[in-house]
Amino acid sequence: MKKSLSMLVLLLAAFALVLVGCQRAEEEQAAEPAAAEEQAEEAFSGVAAMATDVGGLGDKSFNDGAYEGLLRGEPIGFEARVVESKQQTDYVPNLSGLAEDGADIVFAVGFLMEEAVKEAAQMNPDTYFGGIDIGGDPEIPNFQGILYKEHESGFLAGLVAGHMTAEFSDASDKLNSDPVVGVVLGMFIPPVERYEVGFIQGVKYANPDVRVLSATAGSFTDQAKGKEASVAMIEQGADIIFHAAGLTGLGAIQAAREEGVLAIGVDVDQNAVAPDTVITSAVKKIPESIEVVLQSVVDGTFEGGTHVYGLAEGATGISEFHDFDSVIPQEVKDAVAEATELILSGELEIATTRAEIEDLLD
Amino acid sequence: MITFDFIVNLLVATIRLSTPITLAAIGAVICERSGIVNIAMEGIMLIGAFFAAIVAFYSGNPWLGLLAGIFFGAIFSLLHAFATVSLHLDHVVSGAVLNILALGLTRYLMVLIVGHPGTSDPIPVGLSDYQFAIPVLSRIPVIGPMFFNQTPIVYMSFVLIILFTWFLFKTKTGLHIRSAGEHPLALETIGVSVYKMRYLGVLVSGMVGGLAGAYLSIENNVSFTEGMTNGRGFIAMAAMISGGWHPVGAFLAALFFGFADALQVRFQVFKIVDLPEEVFIIFPYVLTVIAVAGLVRKSRPPKAVGTDFMIERSED
Repeated sequence: MKKSLSMLVLLLAAFALVLVGCQRAEEEQAAEPAAAEEQAEEAFSGVAAMATDVGGLGDKSFNDGAYEGLLRGEPIGFEARVVESKQQTDYVPNLSGLAEDGADIVFAVGFLMEEAVKEAAQMNPDTYFGGIDIGGDPEIPNFQGILYKEHESGFLAGLVAGHMTAEFSDASDKLNSDPVVGVVLGMFIPPVERYEVGFIQGVKYANPDVRVLSATAGSFTDQAKGKEASVAMIEQGADIIFHAAGLTGLGAIQAAREEGVLAIGVDVDQNAVAPDTVITSAVKKIPESIEVVLQSVVDGTFEGGTHVYGLAEGATGISEFHDFDSVIPQEVKDAVAEATELILSGELEIATTRAEIEDLLD
Repeated sequence: MITFDFIVNLLVATIRLSTPITLAAIGAVICERSGIVNIAMEGIMLIGAFFAAIVAFYSGNPWLGLLAGIFFGAIFSLLHAFATVSLHLDHVVSGAVLNILALGLTRYLMVLIVGHPGTSDPIPVGLSDYQFAIPVLSRIPVIGPMFFNQTPIVYMSFVLIILFTWFLFKTKTGLHIRSAGEHPLALETIGVSVYKMRYLGVLVSGMVGGLAGAYLSIENNVSFTEGMTNGRGFIAMAAMISGGWHPVGAFLAALFFGFADALQVRFQVFKIVDLPEEVFIIFPYVLTVIAVAGLVRKSRPPKAVGTDFMIERSED
């Protein structure tokens, strides 16, 4: 009797803490959607909400990017609200909960939330839903899938890496004479694949003789494994390591730093992680795209289906070079600018799956 | 492709990848030898990794971070000891609860201390900056770079393997700990407290588990990431079992796992065989399952492990 009682107490204590960890002090009453619609004529006021994936805020990647996008909605009358998901089973209740609490639009962040957001959107047909990295569904008109052309960002990053490791290896003492670069992946999911494929194509576009090494860690939170994959590539002569691996990639950058080679960050400008190592980052500007969606809610022009954001919308590309601005030769910068033009004009097409670039794979 | 350098690099990587598993496994050996099942190693490691990174970040001193990892790993393990020894809870239930608690607690403290969940800010100086080569010995081919040109916690793990083996099999307290796990009643009869020995066993595993966590956050890397242990605490359990509840055996089993992991990463990089990456990623885990299944018949757990021990006190 005593035993089961104390067991219960311990269990409750554990769950209480988990709950405290998950919930945030977002207690203010929701503005009534009806009231919001009435006011839409003069000054719009509404609630823009998001549920993070298990990575949570502070991932310095897409969860943070989506949150920044929500905050950009404040000047146009949105109140930002966030719920963090501790495990995958939280997704549907979190998304639905936000809708039931009166949010005008609810964003789900991350490919892994695909099923959950579509289910929540069908359960709450009067609320708009958006999904970062998730494809749309014609059957669900109140859901907009927001995808990015990660392959464009990857391509430009690969272009820089390909030029630097081959022709310009004298530009930095962190580059060696071997024309080899590496890419560390987290889990092999479509956006990660697009980054990788774009990167490989970019490297080969710069110089077909450069080898691209690739490895998948199998996790987005395993720094030690990211580091190991990176080290294994550096042992093979890789002197620029690109990663599309979330938090796992922090280990890849750390390995590059310790071994004295260069790295390229992902999703957001990761120069601050290691300013002496990260030359640039292949970014996708989630805030920009969320801003567009929020504006469409205000204007009443929200559309379902899939919307793909890329260079043309200013949502993909590479970040600035920071301290490496003087290291990267003008020729490379010109090549990036030229490739950007060619992509925008449609003359240069970038593959999105490994199957399309089989002949380029080492 | 398979050059001498490749083999040396592979073996050095084996040590690098196996160290956190080795530490957690030898800690678990002491714990289970005292009769307490400790599946909470995963959670203990996470707590150790968190506090090591936080203290190293705010103090700027990784050595203080290392001490914090050990200290908070020990404190956290005391919850397990209190639940299983004093409150007589089921060991597996307590361990499972503590693993969930560690996940929630580290996230909560991340928000509270760092200001956001996810990953902490990089520490200014990590323990990898204190890598040192032992003169002469580090020049030995293969063995030198593997064992004698290492970072602090890796050296500590080597020392602890020897220390724990000696402690468990050559000292009186070690004998008492083993007795608590084999035949607690006999131990109590000769006037040694089974409770104390079991508390000691759990506490040691907490300290070493915290050290294993510190390795991940402040030696192998420079920041804490939520859930960064990624199941290594459970792999350590497997290493303990296949190692026959012996520190040296556990070390060898951990080395085996580290080797498999180092190998699969290099297989991916080399594209030696063209298989989907998932096959490579699960490779070490499959090997672990096979190793445990194959060796488990030969290795015998401590007789009284997982059983409750309660002293009947007469009211006088």
